[in-house]
Amino acid sequence: MGICIVLFSSLSQSRSSYIFRILNSTGAAERMTKLSALVAAVSLLPILCFSFSPENPTDRRVLVLLDDLSLKSSHSIFFNSLKSRGFDLDFKLADDPKLSLQRYGQYLYDALILFTPSTDRFGGSLDLAGVLDFVDSGHDLILAADASASDLIRNIATECGVDFDEDSSAMVIDHKSYAVTETEGDHTLIVSDDYIQSDVILGSTKVESPILYKGIAHSLNAANSLVLKVLSASPSAYSANPSSKLSNPPLLIGSAISLVSVVQARNNARIMITGSLDMFSNRLLRSGVQKAGDSNKYSKSGNEQFVTELSKWVFHERGHLKAVNLRHHKVGETDEPAIYRINDNLEFSVQIYEWSGKSWGPYVANDVQVQFYMMSPYVLKTLFTDQKGLYHTSFKVPDVYGVFQFKVEYQRLGYTSLSLSKQIPVRPFKHNEYERFITTAFPYYGASFITMAGFFIFSIFYLYNK
Amino acid sequence: MARSLAGFLVLILTISICEAASIFQPISDSHRSAALDLFKPVDGSFSSLEETYEALRTFDILGIKKKPDVSTATCGTVSKTLGSSSSTPKDLFDALRVNSILKCKINAEVFEGIISRLQAAVSGASLLLDFYYPIGSLGLIKLLEGGVIAFYTSPDFDKSSIDPLMQDQTSKADLHISDAEGIFRSIKALSQSDGRWRYSSNNPESSTFAAGIALEALAGVVSLASSEIDQFMIGTVKNDILKLFDSIEKYDDGAFYFDEKVVNVPEHLGPLSTSSSVVRGLTAFTTVTTGSLDLPGDKILGLAKFFLGIGIPGDAKDFFNQIDSLAFLESNRRVVSIPLILSPPSTVISLTKKENLKVKVNTVLGSKAPPLTVKLVRAYSTSSKDTSIIDNKELSFDPEGAVYFLDALPDSVDVGNYIFVVLLDSEHKDLYVTGTLTHVPIYITGLIKIGNAEIAVLDSDLGSIETQRELDLSGENTVSLSANHLQKLRLSFQLTTPRGSAFKPHQAFLKLRHETKVEHVYLVGNSGKKFEIILDFLGLVEKFFYLSGKYDIQLTVGDVVMENSLLRDIGHVELDIPEAPEKAPRPPLQAVDPYSRYGPKAEISHIFRVPEKHPPKELSLTFLGLTFLPLIGFLIGLLQLGVNLKNFPTSSVPATFAILFHVGIAAVLLLYGLFWLKVRLLLVGSIHDIEGTQFLGSFLDVRRTQDPFASGLGIIQVEIRLRMKEFLFECCLLGKQYGHFGSSFVGLVLVNYI
Repeated sequence: MGICIVLFSSLSQSRSSYIFRILNSTGAAERMTKLSALVAAVSLLPILCFSFSPENPTDRRVLVLLDDLSLKSSHSIFFNSLKSRGFDLDFKLADDPKLSLQRYGQYLYDALILFTPSTDRFGGSLDLAGVLDFVDSGHDLILAADASASDLIRNIATECGVDFDEDSSAMVIDHKSYAVTETEGDHTLIVSDDYIQSDVILGSTKVESPILYKGIAHSLNAANSLVLKVLSASPSAYSANPSSKLSNPPLLIGSAISLVSVVQARNNARIMITGSLDMFSNRLLRSGVQKAGDSNKYSKSGNEQFVTELSKWVFHERGHLKAVNLRHHKVGETDEPAIYRINDNLEFSVQIYEWSGKSWGPYVANDVQVQFYMMSPYVLKTLFTDQKGLYHTSFKVPDVYGVFQFKVEYQRLGYTSLSLSKQIPVRPFKHNEYERFITTAFPYYGASFITMAGFFIFSIFYLYNK
Repeated sequence: MARSLAGFLVLILTISICEAASIFQPISDSHRSAALDLFKPVDGSFSSLEETYEALRTFDILGIKKKPDVSTATCGTVSKTLGSSSSTPKDLFDALRVNSILKCKINAEVFEGIISRLQAAVSGASLLLDFYYPIGSLGLIKLLEGGVIAFYTSPDFDKSSIDPLMQDQTSKADLHISDAEGIFRSIKALSQSDGRWRYSSNNPESSTFAAGIALEALAGVVSLASSEIDQFMIGTVKNDILKLFDSIEKYDDGAFYFDEKVVNVPEHLGPLSTSSSVVRGLTAFTTVTTGSLDLPGDKILGLAKFFLGIGIPGDAKDFFNQIDSLAFLESNRRVVSIPLILSPPSTVISLTKKENLKVKVNTVLGSKAPPLTVKLVRAYSTSSKDTSIIDNKELSFDPEGAVYFLDALPDSVDVGNYIFVVLLDSEHKDLYVTGTLTHVPIYITGLIKIGNAEIAVLDSDLGSIETQRELDLSGENTVSLSANHLQKLRLSFQLTTPRGSAFKPHQAFLKLRHETKVEHVYLVGNSGKKFEIILDFLGLVEKFFYLSGKYDIQLTVGDVVMENSLLRDIGHVELDIPEAPEKAPRPPLQAVDPYSRYGPKAEISHIFRVPEKHPPKELSLTFLGLTFLPLIGFLIGLLQLGVNLKNFPTSSVPATFAILFHVGIAAVLLLYGLFWLKVRLLLVGSIHDIEGTQFLGSFLDVRRTQDPFASGLGIIQVEIRLRMKEFLFECCLLGKQYGHFGSSFVGLVLVNYI
């Protein structure tokens, strides 16, 4: 240290001025950095304020990628319904050279709509891995393909657990459940009303009219447990090229054909995949529908309600849960203990709220369960609810000691999964917590002491008897 | 741009049925309801005058009666814009356009001021748009006056009913621009050799959209000119138009459109707005000039098809462009022929219901076409294009439904996909685009007769029938068969068309579904009328994954032209297949039912260890009492024996030692008693405090007390053990306290030993 100071003091004049300049310029650079950071922060501020956050989980900024800008006009009802719900839609062509999902490590969007069935490659820096990373970081995706689906779109779908029919000329055909129209007779405009039974995905209002669908079929990867069939084809449907004779049985047939599927990833990213871009189009949204062989004629197809409700789900306007205030204590106490003793009676409570798109409301269900868990659950109990979001129960700590966890693993169809755990040790009885004297042992003790007494007496008499 | 084209192509293809022959429907009521949805005023007015004009114009063209009333608020904006000196020519143009529809009360002086401003602007202009807006505005002012003049001259005109202000508006009947020919030349100077225009002389990039604007401006100049424009000039412009039409692009379905070829096209300049601009310019120009323009009718029809092919746009601007262009195509009666759209009310004709081919002929906006002859030139099946089934037949007209229909389909027409080629012919050849062939795809459907359906189980080698069942495929069947792997399953049926010939459906599947939801699908092949499939189970065992059991049989027969497409559960077959060998393929993974996957789990409650069974307290106490009996007996026995203590030493030293000896024994025994009773009292502090406690007793002991299954030690024995350890441990502590390292060491050794 001393040597350093000596050296420093012996520096020439020019050298020290040079150092001063460096220091000075560093200061300037620092100021510049601060300034640009401030500018960036200010410019990002409005974006950050309205974006997805755990406290405000609805998506806000949505990137819509299109093959062609005319889709903006032909699918305007769907887009307008999104805009009216407060989404900030950013329309871009799929091969826009400036396309990018993130900047400086921050994602610019909360969700992505891919209406780009025929795009072979995206413009800019976006690619298959980019889209998957976007989803992997918890963002949402809507993907619609049609008969011209490219390999890129098929690959994205495959990564999400959905396999489109490999035959690129195939469409879903249904000779029994097709829509009766004046101009189409090739039975590729099909009607389906085989929805998933889930109020959270499709909304509490039942979709009354059937859905019009024209597009390609897909199947779900059986190994993927996260993907769900939301709309399936009727048993008589099959996926084939409508204009050529069949030489082999089609790969996808009947109810195994999924028309619309959703994925909820483990990080709660939501994905919707469908093989029909037309399903979102104004034409099918406005069109009336009549199923073949059914005299019931609906003046409007269920498409609008279906895609609107489904998009609400995908963009986290529904079915997003949060759990807070996980508490536990001994019965009759209020403070949370650091450790429980075996056989203690405890009370457990947790609060669960559901996001309604604007605010958090109480979540009401009767199937929330808590586990008292060490390697495997020792206690699994359904919680009682007070209908205001509070779930509670009480139980007796098992007579096994070790490090336990309170676990709430809540996975329900359509809802985001809750996974909470809180660690708590359980100790056995202390020695002085056992009974001090056990009556049952008294005969043994009595026998011992009497033997002792006898021995004592005997020893005296034995020695001194005469 | 190519992308954009491709997009439109896709759009149109999705709307049409097939590329070669597609049907375009004229504007209908769905457009009207869509227009009301798209153009929705906010607080009694639209956001801009341009949008107001687009809305009002669209409502006018579509003849919408129940349109929103925006006149009060809008007229205020119009007069403000017209009165303001800071308004740009575009603002004035938009305001005048709105005014031309709403007929607001505008002061005459306002017009005078504007006219002079506009005239000055025209003469000083050099850019295309600088010409376009003032000329357009002047044209609108002139039109407005013309309108009022026409109003004056109409027979049922009452002069007193006219507003004095309106009368003022007519005072400038001699509205014209000076040096019209010079302006005409300067606009023409911006044109390119390929018929497109530039926006300014400095900008070399030419645009089709600009061509439309320029044509409109030129039309305005011609109509505003005080003297006749040189016919040669007009001729060159007409030539430009023809050249422009050389660059028209075409879709496979017969639709024509214009598109920008420049690289960086703004978003709003798609094919629709470009084509729309050209149509506007073209019709405006041909209206004001005389002489014919030899434009091919199919291109005009193609343009109309293009606009109709878009369907109902969801964007207000697109909607306006579509409707406005179609209106120009339809209303321009003089020079460009009016396209007529032929559309069948239904492309599906049922043979069984004896339906006939019907076609409607409309103008693009959906109004009735003039009387004409509709001829069916030929009709052919899509599978055999060369053989025509109907030749040269005129369709009759049904005035009631305004449809043309074919009297009867000839007997040779069977179910299938057909293309009907229809020709429109009109007496007004100069007025309407006629003579073009329209290809109409028609599906002729019918009920297919299904007969001789039977299912049988055959013996493999001989082919002899083991069991056979007749099937009624129009009703329910519940066949139950059983077969083993050495047998075959045969299913056969016949399909006949209404005309009695063989029918081959697109979909004829036999599906076998095992209980485990593993499915196997087979195509049912045919020879002539007869459809037959034979499943030889011996060759299929591997494909069936050696799964024995019940297989449900399902038959699906369907086709586009089959009205009675069917999906029938026939029954089931009980298959007996040998056990799977070691390396047999496993059945594929079946998707898990989502409902069961997400349900709540079954509750688990812990089974507590049953407390050790203890005898009742009384019993223990009784036995405690019983343990005293031997002592009592012993004492009584001693008394009986008459024992004495006579041998006790009497001398002091031995007596002292004897007493000490017995006191020693008594102390040891007492220590045992105290150990049992009050061991804790010996402690200075409490070793039971949880903080800083040294765990007493080995893990094994505690484990044994807790583990109900390892009952090697009873709880009592453990207690004794623990007590002993506790005691010894305390001894160590005490020894430590008093400095007896030796004894504490011994104590520790003992603790560990036990």
